[in-house]
Amino acid sequence: MIKRSFFGLVKPKLQYEIIDDAQPEPVNINASEKIMLYIDQPYENKANSLLKIGDQVKNGQKIEVVKDADAYMLSSKSGQISNISSFVGFMEKKLTAVTIDIDDQANQLLDDSFKDVYKTPSMENAKDLLSGLPGKPDFDVFFHPDKPIKSIVVLGVDGDLLTTTNQWFIKNGIISVKTGIDLLRKITGIHDIILIVPQHLAQVAGSAGATVKTVDSEYPAAHPQLIIRHILADKNLGGNDIASNSGIAFFSAEAVSAIGAAYKTGQIPLDKIVTFISKDGNKQLVSVPIGTPLQDILSQLNESLNDGDRVIFGGPMTGVAVYSPDFPVMPDTDAIIIQDKSQVVERADVACINCGECVRVCPANIQINQLIRFLEAGQYEEAADQYDLFSCIECGFCSFVCESRIPVFQHIKLAKHTLESMNAAEENNA
Amino acid sequence: MPNTLKLTVSHAPFWHNGSSISSKSRNILLASLLAVVPGCYQYGMAAVGVVTMSIASAIIWELLINFISRRPISVGDGNAALIGMIFAMMLPATTPWWAVVTGTFFAVVIAKEIFGGIGANPFNPAVLAMTILMLSWGNLFDFNAALLNYSFNFKAVYPLVLSKSFGAHAVEPFALMDLLLGKQIGGIGSTCGIGLILGGVYLILRGFIRWEVCFSFLAGIIIAALCFNILNPELYAGPGFHLLTGYTMIGAFFLATEDSSSPVNFIPMLIYGFLGGALTILIRNIGTHIDGVLYAILIINLVNPLLDKIRPKAIGKGV
Repeated sequence: MIKRSFFGLVKPKLQYEIIDDAQPEPVNINASEKIMLYIDQPYENKANSLLKIGDQVKNGQKIEVVKDADAYMLSSKSGQISNISSFVGFMEKKLTAVTIDIDDQANQLLDDSFKDVYKTPSMENAKDLLSGLPGKPDFDVFFHPDKPIKSIVVLGVDGDLLTTTNQWFIKNGIISVKTGIDLLRKITGIHDIILIVPQHLAQVAGSAGATVKTVDSEYPAAHPQLIIRHILADKNLGGNDIASNSGIAFFSAEAVSAIGAAYKTGQIPLDKIVTFISKDGNKQLVSVPIGTPLQDILSQLNESLNDGDRVIFGGPMTGVAVYSPDFPVMPDTDAIIIQDKSQVVERADVACINCGECVRVCPANIQINQLIRFLEAGQYEEAADQYDLFSCIECGFCSFVCESRIPVFQHIKLAKHTLESMNAAEENNA
Repeated sequence: MPNTLKLTVSHAPFWHNGSSISSKSRNILLASLLAVVPGCYQYGMAAVGVVTMSIASAIIWELLINFISRRPISVGDGNAALIGMIFAMMLPATTPWWAVVTGTFFAVVIAKEIFGGIGANPFNPAVLAMTILMLSWGNLFDFNAALLNYSFNFKAVYPLVLSKSFGAHAVEPFALMDLLLGKQIGGIGSTCGIGLILGGVYLILRGFIRWEVCFSFLAGIIIAALCFNILNPELYAGPGFHLLTGYTMIGAFFLATEDSSSPVNFIPMLIYGFLGGALTILIRNIGTHIDGVLYAILIINLVNPLLDKIRPKAIGKGV
């Protein structure tokens, strides 16, 4: 944990992790008995569902709850569906949890629907079959004619601290990243592809065949919205547009590399590179099939969990704490952090003392000291109207520095979620 | 077998820089000792009595209000102790016990708790309490009368009274060095300029108070005093004298910087401090009160919410 420096006059600085020069190859982890896939689709109408308990699925097969849904997952192993249930994820997200009892390593069946199309790469088959790749590429953005995409940004930087997953792809797999970039160019027809890397990888990234830009090593410079604002400022995006309508599509280096590999070989890569940080702070990269429960990783790395420990999927600033070691690796799980009970800092419900630390670190210039007063009182609409709630880029810095230890970030997320679901409900009723 | 492992689940971020209200209070208390200890040395056990009485009663008032309002016990954050300490720093060593207790009542209960506790007070609690006391029992805070029974090896007259009544030449005997070293009468912890400066610099470096407020407050004092001094050097003392007398130093480093009642943005902090400094000199030189720091700080506390409207645009808002 990074503590406040003794001299507090200057703003606190958090540095992104820099990948070691002698980074060992990722450790291969295998799912032992089952994998679990969380599909971003509510499991409501069981009769309507495409999935049945007992169904045989193949390695690489598309698992979808209803026909032609946007959200699906790719099974990283072949086996039999043993359980389907609905699952409520982070911020009331309604998901379908599919458990697959996997076949022996020797008897893995390969799905060949992608084999049929991989020689003719296109946006349609990418959207149809590759959204479940590690790194979670989002092809949907290309299908909004009213919001045309003008540039593609490939993130060779990691979004959160301690994580080195994307850097690893730039450092050790620049060739496959290049293959992916070429392919993206081909299927999207967009020539303006920008590769964002940390300064120390600029040399390596030069060979990827894309415009290379570097970002600062200070958190949260690598945040997509700040990249748009500071690095791509010359793109003339019409002021301060936010990412979704700025004409920029973001892909992680891992996703691009996986797209390249998929179209090159016809085989869908479904092993996710995860930065695993153990209780004693050791970092290592592991390569795990998507859907592998955390327990398998823990037992193969000889890491144990005790009551009161905290398991974080994602980085220390923006990740999500999970409540069970059965939680699976998702396509966008870049890091898994195990924190010992003693490292857990308690949050408090003391009022804001107006010290202003949060205001000074906020990269979005939000008056958090005022905002939090509205949020604590539940006045979310006022917060959004007067105190820039929706300008928040969700970096978590405010909670990190809060002297009162208020869970500011949680308040903000909750407020945004509440307002968004209110708006959605209104639209549905209209 | 049901899984019985209980993991801690909480919201991001999962790191914290370790700062806390109690560590802040502790550090400010520590820094204030640099001025309080010389004060106690100068005024003896009476001063120690006032300081301890003030801190203790402030804590007890807060505890009482916690019980009455059925709120969680909040004395642990050290804020009540800090209010007690800062309040005592402004008092003369001969303040009777009932005045100390009444003062901390005003500071903790009236100025802080009824507004909603820590972080919700519009005024600096210690300053508000001190002003109420001064208006109610003015004779207690006539430093010349209060410290009559002491004998010092320096001129035992409250310097601001001299400059107010007799003009600038009356304070010529005060060497700035003596004033800086605390060879003047005044509040227990507000005369030792060097201690206050060292404490303030420590707090600035540690990031517990904001340099913008302190420096602009002092700049306000210097510039305003200089203007008056140039206009009429016979009548108005120079900036050095104003910096080192009365509550200026404690005001700049300990009173104006109180979190809840001061702004958080850069430009507002500068305006806030400068306004405080300039008002102080205005009140001292042309107002009716002897020292203007307390009133000036109450006034800038009052404009603080307005000042904080001067803020940078959040990203994604306008161009």
